[in-house]
Amino acid sequence: MSYKVLVVDDEDAVRDVFVELLKKEKYVPKQASNGEDALVLIEKEAFDIILLDIKLPGMSGLDVLKKIRETKPDLAVIMITGFAYDDELIAKSKEYGCCGYIVKNMSPSKIITSFKSIVKKEVKK
Amino acid sequence: MVEQWPSKPYMWVRFPSLACAKEVRRDPAAKMLLRGRWDKLYTWVRDPSPARSKTKKIMDIFKKFTTGFVSTVIDKADVFIVYLDKSKNVSICNTKVESLTSRNKEEIIGNAWFDALYHDHNSISTGRQMFQAIIDDSAKYKRPNNFESLFTDKENKERLISWSITPILSESEDLEGMLLIGNDITELVERQNSFRKIDETLKDIFSNIREYAIYVVNLDGKITYFGMGSEVMFGWQKKEIIFKQARLLHPKDESEPTLSYILEQVAQFGEYETEVEMLKKDGRAFPVILTITRFLDSQGRLTGYIFIAKDITERKKLEYQVIQSEKLAAIGQLVAGITHDINNPLFVISGRLEIMLQEKKLDKELKKNLMILNEQAERIKKLVDQLLKFSRKSTPKFITLNVNEVIENILPLLAYHKLSVANINILKNLQKDISLVKGDLNQLQEVFINLCINAYQAMSEGGSLAIKTCNLPNRYVEVRISDTGKGIPEENLKNIFMPFFSTKKEGTGLGLSICYNIIKSHSGTIEIDSEVNKGTTFIIRFPFVQD
Repeated sequence: MSYKVLVVDDEDAVRDVFVELLKKEKYVPKQASNGEDALVLIEKEAFDIILLDIKLPGMSGLDVLKKIRETKPDLAVIMITGFAYDDELIAKSKEYGCCGYIVKNMSPSKIITSFKSIVKKEVKK
Repeated sequence: MVEQWPSKPYMWVRFPSLACAKEVRRDPAAKMLLRGRWDKLYTWVRDPSPARSKTKKIMDIFKKFTTGFVSTVIDKADVFIVYLDKSKNVSICNTKVESLTSRNKEEIIGNAWFDALYHDHNSISTGRQMFQAIIDDSAKYKRPNNFESLFTDKENKERLISWSITPILSESEDLEGMLLIGNDITELVERQNSFRKIDETLKDIFSNIREYAIYVVNLDGKITYFGMGSEVMFGWQKKEIIFKQARLLHPKDESEPTLSYILEQVAQFGEYETEVEMLKKDGRAFPVILTITRFLDSQGRLTGYIFIAKDITERKKLEYQVIQSEKLAAIGQLVAGITHDINNPLFVISGRLEIMLQEKKLDKELKKNLMILNEQAERIKKLVDQLLKFSRKSTPKFITLNVNEVIENILPLLAYHKLSVANINILKNLQKDISLVKGDLNQLQEVFINLCINAYQAMSEGGSLAIKTCNLPNRYVEVRISDTGKGIPEENLKNIFMPFFSTKKEGTGLGLSICYNIIKSHSGTIEIDSEVNKGTTFIIRFPFVQD
């Protein structure tokens, strides 16, 4: 059975690339363009993995992560960011309970590879 | 019997001639008085004849005006006036004298002078005997004398009084009496002493100022005073430069403002302060803050200029470093913002390219073009990654480490960087008991690799790369990475740590600025020393681990 993934990113083009790449890897992706929509979707549907951009308009990725943790402490959340070497953000994400961290400065295929390795380690089904 | 010599050396006797002074010294009584302390006996030589002719006039005046207006004037005078008869009893005295004794004028007049003066609180009999001897001398030899001694006044305060003793002679040159005029010189002497003290203190202050060069230039532009601090700062000895032109201390191709312009300003406005370059004796230029003020004499006439120079070489260096790191911080922030925004579109481009390249039925020509696009996108990504590294906000993970080990570990990595050019020797000189430092292993490796790569690149024709470590006495560990390569021209050295500054064809100009940032976050310093065609040395210093 394939994993259901929710891709949360405010840029359509970025989201689309993720969705297409994930489909090729036999995941079942859904998308949300902001934190609020993402939380509504997470309440309604059961996802295996959330791919969450740190920089979102309005509610930030970190805020969304915090909210998710209030109701779903075991849901796998992987953060994505364009800020490669920001230890502070990484530390915060870990503190709030993300299970992985992907930097957008790698090539998409490498990103998917590291996504897969996090999923393998963190998501049990 | 002499009781006590006064503690203060105010016992000056003024004799009319040297012969007279010698005579007093020979006197056994005086000898006993002075108890061999001849150094306390001062002698003035004076020609007594004009004074004697004056005494006649004074006598006449006295005879004429013993009552009325002149008597009032004498009484109110702010000097002690006493007239003694032949047997040293007081005939006339003014009110001022009352301040020296507890007796009033009426009680003094008609009585023996010394009993009145010394009868109670003026118990220093040394003074009494001396005063008596002086008056006796004036009486015996009919010559004026001067005498200075300490007295205690009614309020029990010590006063220093200078007495002039004038014998009054009759027409037939017989002694009639003695006129004593006393001046209270306590404050005057105190003031003189305090001036002397101020003078000495000033001298001490000036010889102790070494941070500042103080010198004086006269109106002809010649140096007339050259203080200790000036010798230290300029390297000139006082005797070498005194009366030479002050221009010597300024560069020949005078940069603005010129010395003559400065002096014009000072003459007009009284003071001028400016930052200029000045010259040491050996010709080296150095930056100073120069303050020049008018040098006026006591009449307020301009006689020259006082120069005060402060060497600001160290401050300039520091200022430069601060500006540099501020610039770097500003660029860092800018870069962080831009690179983040580049990352997203770049991700989309690369992502789309990859998706397209995964198509199986792709036209051969199109595939080739897509591959090229992908390669170029990769290049941008690498650059962005470097920019992100440069602007990284990451706090280094400090551990206690040995720089020697860090260096040993990177040397094999250099081979991996395909930089082990055939004819480059590596010379290691690592101090065995090198002190430990606090550092982030990955970051320090990055710095050393970066510097070694630079060294290799500077020696395309071969040479040697020397890596040296040592402990410095100021509790710093020093790492020197030197090459024997082409060197860096002086005009480029200034900008060497600036981001985007590069002389290499394929450089991003970020390598050294990343190194700079890393070393700074380690509380260390990085300096460069380079000479064209000789080589370059990077000097890095880290503080020891505190025990």
